[in-house]
Amino acid sequence: MEVADVTRFLADTTPFDQLNEAALAQLASQINVHYYQAHDRVNVSSDRLILVRTGIFTLYSDQQQLLTKLQAGDFYGYQQLLTGLTDNDTLLCEEDGLIFFVAADAFHQSRYQYKNLDIFFQRLFSRRLHQYREQQQSSRFTLKISDVVQQRKIAIRPEQSVQDAARLMSEARVSSLLVEEHDKLVGIITDRDLRSRVLAHALPANTQISQIMTRQPHSIDRHAYLYEAVQQMSQYNIHHLPVLDQGLCCGMLTATDIIRSQQDHPVYLIGEIHRQTSVDGLERCSQHIAELAVTLSKQQVPAHEAGHIITTITDALTQRLIYLAQQQLGEAPCVFSWLAFGSQARMDQSLNADQDNALLLEKEPQGEVGDYFSALAEFVCHGLAQCGITLCPGNIMATNSELRLSLKGWSGRFARWIATPTPDALLKASIFFDLRVIDGSKGLFNALQEDILQRTAQAPLFLYHLTQTALQRTAPLGLFKNFILEQDGKHKKGLDLKKRGISLITDLVRVYALSAGIHQVNTRSRLAKLVTDGVISSKDSQDLQDAFDVLAQLRWEKHQHDLAQGHNVTNLLDPAEISGLSRHQLKDSFAVINEAQSRLKQRFCREL
Amino acid sequence: MLNWLAAKRRPIHQAVGYFSATPFPSANMAAKDARFLVLDFELTGLNPRKDHIVSIGWVPVHQHEIVLADARHYLINSPVSVGQSAVYHGLHDHQLKDAHELADVLTELLSRYAGYVFVAHHSQLDEQFLRAACLRCFGKTPRFKFIDTMQIEWQRLLRQGKVVKHDALKLPSCLKRHGLPAMANHHALEDAYSTALLLLSQLKPGGAEMTLADLYLLSR
Repeated sequence: MEVADVTRFLADTTPFDQLNEAALAQLASQINVHYYQAHDRVNVSSDRLILVRTGIFTLYSDQQQLLTKLQAGDFYGYQQLLTGLTDNDTLLCEEDGLIFFVAADAFHQSRYQYKNLDIFFQRLFSRRLHQYREQQQSSRFTLKISDVVQQRKIAIRPEQSVQDAARLMSEARVSSLLVEEHDKLVGIITDRDLRSRVLAHALPANTQISQIMTRQPHSIDRHAYLYEAVQQMSQYNIHHLPVLDQGLCCGMLTATDIIRSQQDHPVYLIGEIHRQTSVDGLERCSQHIAELAVTLSKQQVPAHEAGHIITTITDALTQRLIYLAQQQLGEAPCVFSWLAFGSQARMDQSLNADQDNALLLEKEPQGEVGDYFSALAEFVCHGLAQCGITLCPGNIMATNSELRLSLKGWSGRFARWIATPTPDALLKASIFFDLRVIDGSKGLFNALQEDILQRTAQAPLFLYHLTQTALQRTAPLGLFKNFILEQDGKHKKGLDLKKRGISLITDLVRVYALSAGIHQVNTRSRLAKLVTDGVISSKDSQDLQDAFDVLAQLRWEKHQHDLAQGHNVTNLLDPAEISGLSRHQLKDSFAVINEAQSRLKQRFCREL
Repeated sequence: MLNWLAAKRRPIHQAVGYFSATPFPSANMAAKDARFLVLDFELTGLNPRKDHIVSIGWVPVHQHEIVLADARHYLINSPVSVGQSAVYHGLHDHQLKDAHELADVLTELLSRYAGYVFVAHHSQLDEQFLRAACLRCFGKTPRFKFIDTMQIEWQRLLRQGKVVKHDALKLPSCLKRHGLPAMANHHALEDAYSTALLLLSQLKPGGAEMTLADLYLLSR
């Protein structure tokens, strides 16, 4: 016989909220209810599932170490039910409350009947709840190249004639061809080329394609996001992009493909940015960023994709500002690379990110060269500030003359940080060692990155100290009613999702990446590469990535919430506002971080 | 005719007889070891001589645990219309169509829960109605042992030196005071469950030494 209060509570508790009425009633009728007073000890060896109904219960290990606290909706005893093994944990009542005991039979029966229930408890058990999804994500708005590109490849050889090309294009009804030699992409040819490079110059019909094709065309990976193609096309003013799959060409993406599939895509903003001719125009564009963020969130774009998109917009603004600066200041007196650090470099920028940038110069920043880049940096950084990307309070910006250096200058600076890891240097490491080129010379940047990675991979002392720094901050134990439970048992009010979660993961992934000389800067890409290179196991990598996604998603949702309320965007989460699955997932994400930190310590802090 | 009556009544008398013959636990027994049955009735009125039981709900408590698997709720066929009391308990005549015979439900109660100490909130009323019902069905009623969560609460508040206000002893107020989940509106099983929660909470401060005798004393 079911009691309404019991059934209602089950119906509101993850994962039982997925059971139908009859199954809920059946489960509710198999429950025993026990009342506990503070200091009472709960009998945990009774082979039943424990579900906290009210009150607070504290779990201690057999060494009397505080493991966690349980509150309404939390479980215990599933470990024993799943494995048959008992442990010597103690569950003490801290604040008077009720516990529901679910009989083992009823627990197992509902597990067999409801696959998702089983998955929930298996994941809860393996501390992998952050990998549990209540339902499949609905359709994604963020398309990838592979979603829109035509699944056919129309290619021609370079020694064939332009007439052959014209014939093939007519037959296949396409406006461009891939030019391939021994299955390798060597160029592209478009119908515009036939007009402007053949007909206009009165070249004969038997002219070889190799004579007039565009060599070494820009290309894009088929797994890239579509907006990245938009970005490239806008930036280089091109309409055709060969698509690569694992380095091999598999098709052509045209501007028409994009327009057809993406007519209302918000990321047209990027195209708009590249058309602006003044800083004021860019400022007007940037006013749409918040709107865009709201649209992305409505479309359920996952946080990491949203971060990627927001970064791409900052990149576009930067690139356009550099272009406008050069319009005003004239050509640069030497080759340069505009660098971004921190979250922009990692491509996980959030809405409240500030600027972290610098200049890498081919020549020493003296005299004319120095003056030019000082003016360029002024223009770009203040332009970015005008576009709402606030100036860096720590003055990590290209406007700072300390951060406009030649390759030799930067190389020397990194070498010093690596050789003598002072606390100040290590603090800087978390920002400066994540770097990416936004505009200018890639070659110059690659030389610097190569130099840095060669040094870091050979510097155990640096890695040791970097690890120590990464371990200084830890994740809390869990979230609890209206406070955060710290590892020392203390309670805190708010949770900074960045400082106590996201950054911990980026920090520890960075140590691995620097130790293995990995070029990738994005945390997800670093994790993938670390697995490919055999540095960490794919399970650890997956755990970290999922935990990262959970945290990033919560932060993204928090920012959306702040925007909708007209508040300032912050990373501070009020635990009272979070419930059910998210709370379980956060707790597991913290556990993943704790484990990963101890493995990091094992790896880099032992031999010294 | 008389033979038929006798045949019909023999097993029922057996239930009363069995209940009466089963001893109650010793008054010295620790309260935590006793078996309780928490009861609640929905009634057509407050006069046991004129009014009737409309529904019965009960939950057993073993070793300080409410056993929901043995919780029961029965709608009772009433010899008269539910009338005005429907306003309170939400039961209407048409809902009573697939209701049970009072005698059947009492037979189950007496045969399953012989030896149990019964518990109710304001138990005096429930006890009067239970006795009246047994008399009406079986011509005889056993003696019951009741403890009263309302009386216990009253004593508790008095001992704390509190002024007991008019509504303070009603079940919802008691639940609130004990930090227990609020209850659904009048329904015999929901009320019995809530009363059982209140009992568990009230048993706590007494600790392991509290005996049934203590509880009887508090219930007076």
